[in-house]
Amino acid sequence: MEKMKRSRCSSVRARLAVLWLACAGVVSAQQSLETTFRITGDTVLAVFSPQAEVIQKCSAVFYDGRDEIAYGVVISEDGYVLTKASEIEGIEDLSVRVDKESYKDVVVISVDARWDVALVKVDGERLEPAVFAESSDLAQGTWVVVNGATSRTKRRVLAGVISANAREIPADGGVVLGVELGNDKDKLVIKAVTEGGGAETAGMQAEDILKAVDGVEVKDLEGLVEALEGKKEGDKVSISLIRKKESLELEVELSARGELFAEADRNDQMSGDFSKRRSGFPRVIQHDILANSQTMGGPVINLEGHLVGMNIARANRAETFAIPVEELRELSERMLRESKN
Amino acid sequence: MVTRWKYWNASMSKIAKALILSISLGLPPLASAFPLNSKKAPESLEDLLEIQAALQAALPNAEAATVCVDLGEGTGSGVIVSKDGLVMTAAHVSTAVGKKVTIIMEDGTKLKAETLGLMAETDAALIQILEDAPNENGYPFVEVNQTDDTKLGDWVFSLGHSGGFKKERGAVVRIARLVRMANNTIQTDGTLIGGDSGGPLFDMDGRLIGIHSRVGPQLPVNMHVPVRVFLDSWDRMMKSEFIGEGPFAQKPEIGKGFLGVGTEPVDGGLEITKVGKGSPAENEGLVVGDVIKSFNGEKTETKERMKELLAEMAPGDKLELEIIRDGKNETIKMQLGSR
Repeated sequence: MEKMKRSRCSSVRARLAVLWLACAGVVSAQQSLETTFRITGDTVLAVFSPQAEVIQKCSAVFYDGRDEIAYGVVISEDGYVLTKASEIEGIEDLSVRVDKESYKDVVVISVDARWDVALVKVDGERLEPAVFAESSDLAQGTWVVVNGATSRTKRRVLAGVISANAREIPADGGVVLGVELGNDKDKLVIKAVTEGGGAETAGMQAEDILKAVDGVEVKDLEGLVEALEGKKEGDKVSISLIRKKESLELEVELSARGELFAEADRNDQMSGDFSKRRSGFPRVIQHDILANSQTMGGPVINLEGHLVGMNIARANRAETFAIPVEELRELSERMLRESKN
Repeated sequence: MVTRWKYWNASMSKIAKALILSISLGLPPLASAFPLNSKKAPESLEDLLEIQAALQAALPNAEAATVCVDLGEGTGSGVIVSKDGLVMTAAHVSTAVGKKVTIIMEDGTKLKAETLGLMAETDAALIQILEDAPNENGYPFVEVNQTDDTKLGDWVFSLGHSGGFKKERGAVVRIARLVRMANNTIQTDGTLIGGDSGGPLFDMDGRLIGIHSRVGPQLPVNMHVPVRVFLDSWDRMMKSEFIGEGPFAQKPEIGKGFLGVGTEPVDGGLEITKVGKGSPAENEGLVVGDVIKSFNGEKTETKERMKELLAEMAPGDKLELEIIRDGKNETIKMQLGSR
């Protein structure tokens, strides 16, 4: 298990928690359950071998060079795969493994920014795509199975339960362009562009003067807030600028304020490796299976082996979100349709 | 500590009711054993479905009794164990004896509550809801497993308001096995996070077996206080005792109690000439011009006398002030802050 890419997850320490641990009683070896019988242990997971066979075929593994960076869901026999877009963004040496086969030619067909999902194509033949379940409407406490770790030849599963109600995860702190604004009177001057934000990607620069959002004139901060009201993370807005006395139009993707600016809080420090993009999803189901940012994008299946969701964010130490199968079906059909137009 | 409570009776009837419960808790519990616990691991789909069925049967009541403990500066979790609204939680959540806290129910209802006793060394604590239950059935509550029959490898589940109360999400459930046992700690492999502290750990019959306490550096290391620890010192905690010294709660230090007023002697007592910003006095609505006649029944005629009385008190201590405001006598009940 340790070899299979769990290390990053466990390396971050919560200082306070460790301090308290030191106060815990001495535990003798006899009173410790052997690893194999724990919920992540081989003996317990052996009972999930029918589900593991399904995961082996329909869970793709994305690599940056030799490093695993994400999982994916195989959705067609000829090699269409869905994955978490923000985990593969900007990776040049991208390759994908399905079952035992490695695919070096990987084409990112399209990205849905709102769901943070990328449609990817590899040169597969006769792959065994995930079988979509009718519904993700599973009662709290229902077993689900995911791809938890991997080697070159084998996908390893982890199991857990649906742990909370399905719901929307609004953008953490609301949506922003990713800029710092000056205090100038009657005009919105960009003071700085935040690293990693939509404004930077779109090419906004310091000293630019913001004139309009989606054609609506904005003069001050209130006007900007109003213009962004009701927008979701991943939505694109058209920004009109004046740069060195010339007009300019840029398309800027909105980010969640909390993901762009916030400092890690105590729970984040305790959580270890969590997903960069973990808010702003129209609807998710939640499960309790151990994960990290590199195990997102993969299938979540029920005991029948049918796809009930796709892991989309490791929110923290105790909570993982997945796109429900209803929305995923619609999303994949739309992305496939658009790719063929 | 206990003697300082003689001034404070507002919530005593509730607490007395809860004391009676401590006797009823002594009744022999129903024997039950989850069959899968006799197997080293589930062997078939049927075994898995048996775990799922037990969990789902236990969840509705367990969730109804699982509460968020709102401390103002942060939140933890807790679980109601009597129909009168007695809550078990962690000492590092309640942090003090006699502290006012808010309990948030599953549906978002907020209830006034007060912390009872705690065990600072083992992280156990009790809280009493002070408001009456909405109907004669009382508050939803869970059975406490007093048999101490849980053993290594048992299937269990955790509930808690991870990261704080979120009504749409509800309490978060985690399935786990009991992986380590020691005198004052049990460990499971169901991952906890801040906000879960004080929340319940259940056996598969939905009986309470532990309270979430802390986590280790690795994800599968999650520690709980076994209910046995609570039961051993139950009566002392019900009597609002602060048991032990740290690390999970620090005893309030005598002499560090803080009111936050400046006064000058006048006829009949001490007139308030200054009220500290954000002080307990300001929060309780004390204003310049109020005349403090007495302090927990002791006359306050000089500044020195009030200083002496304050020097005997600690943060969190109850204070009953008799004042004259606009010519009328009033009584103000409050708690001291920390200097």
